Amino acid sequence: MKSRSMLGRSVPGTSLIHRLDARVKFIGAIVLMVATLSARDVRILAVFLLWTITVMLISRIKLKLIMRSVRPLLFIIIFATLLHLFTVEGHVILQLGTIKVTREGLISGGMTALRLVLMVVNTSLFLTLTTTPLAIADALESLLSPLRHLRFPVHEFAMMMSIALRFVPTLLDEADKIMKAQSSRGADYDTGGPLRRIRGLVSILVPLFISSFRRADDLAVAMEARCYRGGVARTRLHTLKLSVIDVIFSVILIIMLLLVIVVEPYLPPLIAV
Amino acid sequence: MIHFKDVSYTYGAEEGQLPIRAVDHVSFHVKKGSHVALLGRNGSGKSTIARLINGLLLPDEGSVLVNGMDTTDSLDIFEIRRICGMVFQNPDNQLIGATVADDIAFGPCNLELPIDEVNARVDEALRSSGLTALRDRAPHNLSGGQKQKLAIASILAMEPECIILDEATSMLDPMSRRSVMELILELKEKSDISIVQITHHMEEAVLADYVYVISDGSIVLEGTPAEVFDQFERVRAEGLSVPVHIEIARRIADTTDTYYRPEDIFSFEGAVSFVRGVIESRTSSESTGDLDAGYEIGERRGVDNASQDLDRERVIEISNLSFDYVSDAGEPVRALEDVSFSVEKGEILGILGHTGSGKSTLIQHINGIIPSKKGTVVVLGRDLSDRKTVRDIRRHVGLLFQYPEDQLFEETVALDIAFAPKQLNRTPKEVERAVLSAARRLGVESILHRSPFELSGGQRRRVAIAGVLAAEPDIIMMDEPAAGLDPSGRDELFSDLVTLVDEGATLLIVSHDMETMACLCDRILILNNGKVAGYGTPREMTSSADFLQSVSLDIPSSKRFLNCFVDLFPGLDTNCYTAEEAACALLRAVAEG
Repeated sequence: MKSRSMLGRSVPGTSLIHRLDARVKFIGAIVLMVATLSARDVRILAVFLLWTITVMLISRIKLKLIMRSVRPLLFIIIFATLLHLFTVEGHVILQLGTIKVTREGLISGGMTALRLVLMVVNTSLFLTLTTTPLAIADALESLLSPLRHLRFPVHEFAMMMSIALRFVPTLLDEADKIMKAQSSRGADYDTGGPLRRIRGLVSILVPLFISSFRRADDLAVAMEARCYRGGVARTRLHTLKLSVIDVIFSVILIIMLLLVIVVEPYLPPLIAV
Repeated sequence: MIHFKDVSYTYGAEEGQLPIRAVDHVSFHVKKGSHVALLGRNGSGKSTIARLINGLLLPDEGSVLVNGMDTTDSLDIFEIRRICGMVFQNPDNQLIGATVADDIAFGPCNLELPIDEVNARVDEALRSSGLTALRDRAPHNLSGGQKQKLAIASILAMEPECIILDEATSMLDPMSRRSVMELILELKEKSDISIVQITHHMEEAVLADYVYVISDGSIVLEGTPAEVFDQFERVRAEGLSVPVHIEIARRIADTTDTYYRPEDIFSFEGAVSFVRGVIESRTSSESTGDLDAGYEIGERRGVDNASQDLDRERVIEISNLSFDYVSDAGEPVRALEDVSFSVEKGEILGILGHTGSGKSTLIQHINGIIPSKKGTVVVLGRDLSDRKTVRDIRRHVGLLFQYPEDQLFEETVALDIAFAPKQLNRTPKEVERAVLSAARRLGVESILHRSPFELSGGQRRRVAIAGVLAAEPDIIMMDEPAAGLDPSGRDELFSDLVTLVDEGATLLIVSHDMETMACLCDRILILNNGKVAGYGTPREMTSSADFLQSVSLDIPSSKRFLNCFVDLFPGLDTNCYTAEEAACALLRAVAEG
């Protein structure tokens, strides 16, 4: 049950961010990720921080939900920050035996933490929290469609993704049921040595695989019965259209990318690291 | 519109396996706008026939024509599939779209319709199936009945001329089954759509215009439902059941040598008035011959003596049990509320209630799969609130989920059955003995060396049950053990299970089916919305039709039939749960005046 809420975490809403074209959000998330990771100037990062807070406010998604998406990466963020904190050479401000903390290290560590948090928050704001998995699948199909000329099976790929999305909750339920059933037959998944645990997994995975194959069979027949014949000339159900806000949004993103690439090198040095 | 001309089909012919002739020289036709039912036991070849209709399978011999088009003609095949839409058995395995609307659009998109037309058809299909409110839901969040309605809507959007229902209702509970059938009949009424219905539920077959009974790939009986069910002994020999009122009327007609026409006793009311006529002409005259009882699923169990042995050991005691689960939306939902009852050793307890009444949640508390939070669960004298006790108690309490065949995983039947006793660290000798005895009881000892995955559905079910019995539990709980089995398979399974009680086991059976449970169980617990709505003997629980209706359960039909005669015979024993008993009771009442 817990894992299900992990997967389908999109929060329904009608905010500007929710209404953005999924392709724009998908590319936007990648652009922002690259931009934040490569920004080396505190002032540029401050702009990004301001921007992220603005998006957060527009999307009307609760801070608690956003922070929940940071939690799984908390360890990496702390680790990277500490690494910077203790390894960057410079003006020493604190020394405990061999461990020393420098001013440069402090700044660098702080910026690393900020970069990583911004990256995670942006990605989850644009993709996981405001976009349904189905919309992401549609966006991917549309973005990948030029690859059709290289004989990449774009339609089949998209169909596969959307079917996978459709069946994830069904399979989770099934796994839950099989696990309960095997527990009732005395299987023990919590105690015992590694060998016993692997053996225990077999009793869940084998039935799960077999039923998935059966489902796949059934589904293929059901699709055939509804006249499915591959991607040839199917009507496209979800046609994606760019609106004015999509264009405005894209322009903002381009400006931000330019900030990092073009403006940053010419900024007068402040405390660039 | 559909013509089968001398059609045969053999499985496994090209793969070098043992060929199985599934359809053997079958000819029939379906007229436009008619409703045809194909009946037969599990594995009789009905589903193969369905798949031959729309070209999912192609005949080895003979030909299948739909509106004059041959299914072997690859140019026409998609038009044939559009004309003959198909609803499959498993609600989960036929929905493709990520939302209700997307799923309906799948077919029209395949037909390359313009997008406006696709959207119009989606709206129309949603409206005619009554699913408009669920438009943006994910299929996973629908109930079984809603899923099947969605499957029907998805076909309607392709504007078919015929709907093939391939056991489409067999995985549904009685309420959803009825509501799906209502939708089908409504569609048939409104448009000139033909229905081909593959089923082993006689209550669906009686709605058809014409019935074919299939056995071993051939048509063995055909006619209007009235004609077919009139031959109730042959129908039953095919593993099917017969509407109880027809059988009672038939038995009374036979014993009293009264002339009747099959269509007179076809409806419930017709059968009642026919029997009343017989009784009125007979009451004062000679005595009636008696019927030999012989057919029954196990013997009638002590319907009233369950509560007499007050000193029997109580193996399960549940008091004030409540349980909430958290829904996907994050809100707590009450699944059980203040449930209290006890079960005595050697008893068969039926747990009945509609879907979502809390039955499954309740039994999962009894072997500790769900820990009890509010209230106490005491099993075999030990309180399950202690987690250490739970591990120990599980070996004494077997739990069988719905469709337990899904949990099989070993290479051979024997290994799979041995899984539970091995987990208990029994010696190899003990394991072997336990496996053999469980296999023997379920009649699967001849297939112990085979892979569970090459067996039929009914055999797999039996292997899975044996896998739970092999741990030799004192209490066995089963969730709908007969779901999806044909009537004779169900009766045989229950008669095998009842023998467990003779050896001191206690049985808890979860079910929707009051008819079967009333003649099987010592006591019945009725749940409604998580609360105990009734608890007592089958006689007590079935005494009020209004009460049963209020908890969405059916009154056993033989009892309903007999209730129509209490004005003539005030002393009539209406606690009969089979047609044979009911006919006996009526004849006895006539004889005694």
